[in-house]
Amino acid sequence: MPHLDLENRQFIFKIVYFGPGMSGKTTNLLYIHRTLMEKYRGDMLVLDTEEERTLFFDFFPVSLGTVQGFSLKFHLYTIPGQVYYEASRRIILEGADGVVFVADSNTERLDDNLEMYRRMLDNLESYGVDPGSFPIVLQYNKRDFDDILPLGTLEEALELPDRIPVTSSVATTGRGVMQTLKIISKEVIRQFQPAAV
Amino acid sequence: MNDTDLAKAEKNGEVNGILDELVEKTEAITALVISRQGICLGQAGTAASLNSTALAALVAGMFSATKEVANIVGEDQFSILLQQGEKRHIHISLIGSSSMMVIVFEDYSRIGKVRLAARQAAGRLLDALEQGRRKRDEAVESLSVPDFKEYAMNLIDRIFVVGEDEDAPS
Repeated sequence: MPHLDLENRQFIFKIVYFGPGMSGKTTNLLYIHRTLMEKYRGDMLVLDTEEERTLFFDFFPVSLGTVQGFSLKFHLYTIPGQVYYEASRRIILEGADGVVFVADSNTERLDDNLEMYRRMLDNLESYGVDPGSFPIVLQYNKRDFDDILPLGTLEEALELPDRIPVTSSVATTGRGVMQTLKIISKEVIRQFQPAAV
Repeated sequence: MNDTDLAKAEKNGEVNGILDELVEKTEAITALVISRQGICLGQAGTAASLNSTALAALVAGMFSATKEVANIVGEDQFSILLQQGEKRHIHISLIGSSSMMVIVFEDYSRIGKVRLAARQAAGRLLDALEQGRRKRDEAVESLSVPDFKEYAMNLIDRIFVVGEDEDAPS
């Protein structure tokens, strides 16, 4: 559910980039931050370890403009992908209005993708969210690698419903990144229910 | 939403008023109320040099992480967090179950005053936040949702520009 701040007249929607470690979540955010005009984006926080693995989360706010007298904002977050940061992931997912699941297209990462997707569903359910109607976009990242999962692999293995949009990307070059952001943002707005604010 | 509704809604400045008093009483640099989701709900003091959006996101994460630590050692949660720096210090305390108060101050000898003021303000802030929630409900009821969605979609199309070589969704 988005946050409505009456004093500052703003709606804030939270979008979380979820996925296994090293799948390209931070790279997605860095590209978006680089690409957006300065007037739309706030400072980016990157909390990583010495090995450049996300320790806690990455974050930056996007201000789109005014709608019916309210500022419309998106807060973009990533989660740490390593298995042992389960607690951090759960915390960051709380209050999310939509999720981009960044899958690593390398064939050898199939199990990691599946495990992380299932964990994401568990986490959402622990907050009383019904994943069946929650805005999710599945992004197959690293499509420039040689040995990659065919599109459709994860959907089939996870028995995902057709309603979940799927994109393919190469986050290091930016291909597919803005497209994914656009789709999840629209999904979030489409499913916005004022009663849930 | 019409102007009268907005004006009414804007009178929900009580959270900031309470924080103003607190800042004055403790001579703190700034005081904020943030939600568990990391959103700044109110602010007072000289916070111009602080990035309150980032601060709110980080403090919420920090507090939630500390809750996990509390669980590991057999506590439900720690109700107060204190970060002591060389010049500046942060006192964080829970307000009810879904928000927290952050006080940034400089003179560490004032810690007792800060704690007392935080405790005294907590109940009033909780009431003010609940009042604010009711006002939000009223404000949202008067929102034209189809129009809101249409304008929002237009902004997304205009600002999240997709390059020509980007793949279409499958």
